[in-house]
Amino acid sequence: MAAMEGVAMQDQSQQQQQQQLVPPQPVAVERLNQAVVQQLNLEAVKTRAISLFKAISRILEDFDAYARTNTTPKWQDILGQYSMVNLELFNIVDEIRKVSKAFVVHPKNVNAENATILPVMLSSKLLPEMEIDDNSKREQLLLGMQNLPIPSQIEKLKSRIDMIGAACESAEKVLADTRKAYCFGTRQGPQILPTLDKGQALKIQEQENLLRAAVNSGEGATSLRKILSQLCKCRISMEAFQLHAHYSDRIGLRLPGDQRQMTPALPMHLVDLLPVGDGVHTFSDASGMYMKNTPPLSSNSIGNQGNLLQASGAQLIGRSAASPSAATSATSFDNTTASPVPYANSPRSGTNMMNTPSPQQQQQQQQQQQQQQQQQRQKMMQLPHQQQLLAQQQFRQSQMQGLGQNQMSQLHDLQGQQKFQQLHGQHQMQFSQPMGHQQFQGRQMASGHVQHGIGQSQLGQGNQLNRHLSQFSGAANSALFNAAQGTSNSQMIPNMSATVSSQSLLPRMQFGLAGNNPQRSHASQMLSDQMFNMGASNPGSMIQQQQQQQQQHNTQGAFGNMQPNAQNLQSNMVALQNAQQNHPNFAQQRQQNQQ
Amino acid sequence: MECVVQGIIETQHVEALEILLQGICGVHRDRLRVHEICLKNNPNLGNVASEVRLLCDLEQPEPTWTVKHLGGAMRGAGAEQISVLVRSMVESKVSKNALRLFNALGYKLDHELLRVGFAFHFQRGAQITVTVSSVNKMLKLHATDEAVPVTPGIQLVEVTAPASSENYTEVASAVSSFCEYLAPLLHLSKPGVSTGVVPTAAAAAVSLMSDGGGTTLFSPHTTRIKTAGLAWSI
Repeated sequence: MAAMEGVAMQDQSQQQQQQQLVPPQPVAVERLNQAVVQQLNLEAVKTRAISLFKAISRILEDFDAYARTNTTPKWQDILGQYSMVNLELFNIVDEIRKVSKAFVVHPKNVNAENATILPVMLSSKLLPEMEIDDNSKREQLLLGMQNLPIPSQIEKLKSRIDMIGAACESAEKVLADTRKAYCFGTRQGPQILPTLDKGQALKIQEQENLLRAAVNSGEGATSLRKILSQLCKCRISMEAFQLHAHYSDRIGLRLPGDQRQMTPALPMHLVDLLPVGDGVHTFSDASGMYMKNTPPLSSNSIGNQGNLLQASGAQLIGRSAASPSAATSATSFDNTTASPVPYANSPRSGTNMMNTPSPQQQQQQQQQQQQQQQQQRQKMMQLPHQQQLLAQQQFRQSQMQGLGQNQMSQLHDLQGQQKFQQLHGQHQMQFSQPMGHQQFQGRQMASGHVQHGIGQSQLGQGNQLNRHLSQFSGAANSALFNAAQGTSNSQMIPNMSATVSSQSLLPRMQFGLAGNNPQRSHASQMLSDQMFNMGASNPGSMIQQQQQQQQQHNTQGAFGNMQPNAQNLQSNMVALQNAQQNHPNFAQQRQQNQQ
Repeated sequence: MECVVQGIIETQHVEALEILLQGICGVHRDRLRVHEICLKNNPNLGNVASEVRLLCDLEQPEPTWTVKHLGGAMRGAGAEQISVLVRSMVESKVSKNALRLFNALGYKLDHELLRVGFAFHFQRGAQITVTVSSVNKMLKLHATDEAVPVTPGIQLVEVTAPASSENYTEVASAVSSFCEYLAPLLHLSKPGVSTGVVPTAAAAAVSLMSDGGGTTLFSPHTTRIKTAGLAWSI
């Protein structure tokens, strides 16, 4: 090794001398520092690397020989040689590492795969293509500047760079300005763009509030609603009632009443959903307590109202299950009592569901009736009592037009009054109406006896009935009472409260029960009181009650059993609302009465 | 649960908004014509009145009904930091008898609206629905053919996305980041918070409506928007 190094040193020095001897060429050649060169000892390194290479190749040949001759190699020898090679490589790397960190790259991981390619990869010389590329780019750049001295070339290049930089900056500025102008990514409007003037902004703000309110909370104009709510709170008054009746068909949701009108033609998607002509029943709010058709009132003292209410009661009763009646009557009932009222079809209001004819039929009838009733209500109120009664009958008749029930015709005959000829329609209406139970009050012939579906007509007829009844003997009444008791109570009792509740809208119902009940605003209370009293009272007192009150009979159920008391039934036939139930009986009774 | 924001836009800019939405969402718009019937029940015995909405989609050949209940909004400090409104929402398809049923249950019509416009349904972080509609009221009951706009010059833009209590924060951030894209044209906020119109709406609308010539806009979004019709995702 030392000898080799010595030889290498001599070689190097010889090379250097040779290099020095060579005349300096016009092109400056890059040379390393002499000291560094000496340190690098390139020749020595090369020699050693070559010897190492030879040693390794010798070993590989030996392996080949072993493989060919299939003899087992002597591992001791091979390992010895391998360790020699390893040591030599380590020494070479050590030598160059000291000096050549800056210059030398030696591969770390050499194996069979990359052995051939490594020298190429490690060389810093450009590939031929790359070199051509590089030269062409350089040509382009230094176009026209090749001849100049280098410093001027440098200056020119610098100026070029500056110009390009300036162009870039101005482009960026333009970008930023435009971005601001169109507010991309920022919420604030630039000062450049015109802002909305105040007036316009205010208008838009108003509109926006309207729109948002409409969408989120449905606030539109609510004028009529307010009126109604005010009416609701004050005690019932005829004016209020009339006002309500006036608006009954036109209560709108949140639009002024005069704007909201009944839609004659519903849109396609609602046509078969809503009963024809009954769209108003969907109206809302506090006025929900209002029944569109006020339940029938029946008392002498409120005969006026009774007429009106009777008229509406029929409609109310006839309302289909699909729609709680939108109360339009202005009756201001106690809020406590009003709660069950709006739900005409609640179970409390009666079990007439089973008896109801198709809702559409009823509602058609009701609508007609409503209109007629409203007109007649107002008329009636002004008439004296008796005339009112007559007018009621006529009213009923007019209602009956178009109603094709035959059952009431029997009643008409029974009563021997032509005016009741068209009661059949009313009859239908009545039996189908859960509100009929209201009329139980005062007419209760038996405890817990409740009439089903007694309609408005009963009220009107009830007036007459009272007079008729007063003519009857006590025996007749007691017979009626007995018969009434015979009816099953199971059906009646649950309905009682319902019917009474439907009457709860009428706080002015004054049930002058003979000292039994103080006036109460809640119909159900009155009703129950009557019930209890009736159970205890004798028929005589009951008769008094009947006479005092113009309540309709709820002895409907009793009629089935009252065949022998046909005469008594004559006056009570008005109360035969549930004609379907009592149809066979009517025939008999009629005959009997006619006799 | 759903995250919802609302905004308004002037009717004149609705077309530009449609172009913008088409570019961003990458789907075609669906026409929207919904009759919304809001029912309220009368509180008996001191209960709180509850409200339910029936939506009838009139755009389908056969009107389809949906019942929807909107609950209270999320409250608290966390809710205030979120820029969208998170509220409980329950929705279900129903048959056409829903109106009758609710009437029988005691729900009365409180108000009704007709929304006419268009909607975009797409997925971007969450299933987002953007509806742009003119809100109309009916002077006569249920007269949807004679509806007049509540505010003729302004339409409502609503961005909703269903969420659950676990992922509402992600959905809220997805919705609010989507709303950033609509910044040039309109400003969206929680329902109940009024926003006004955006002053740049007119300029943005003009640029959206133009056919690519004219001013060069450097924003990548707008350049792409001008090639509306290509489905692409940001």
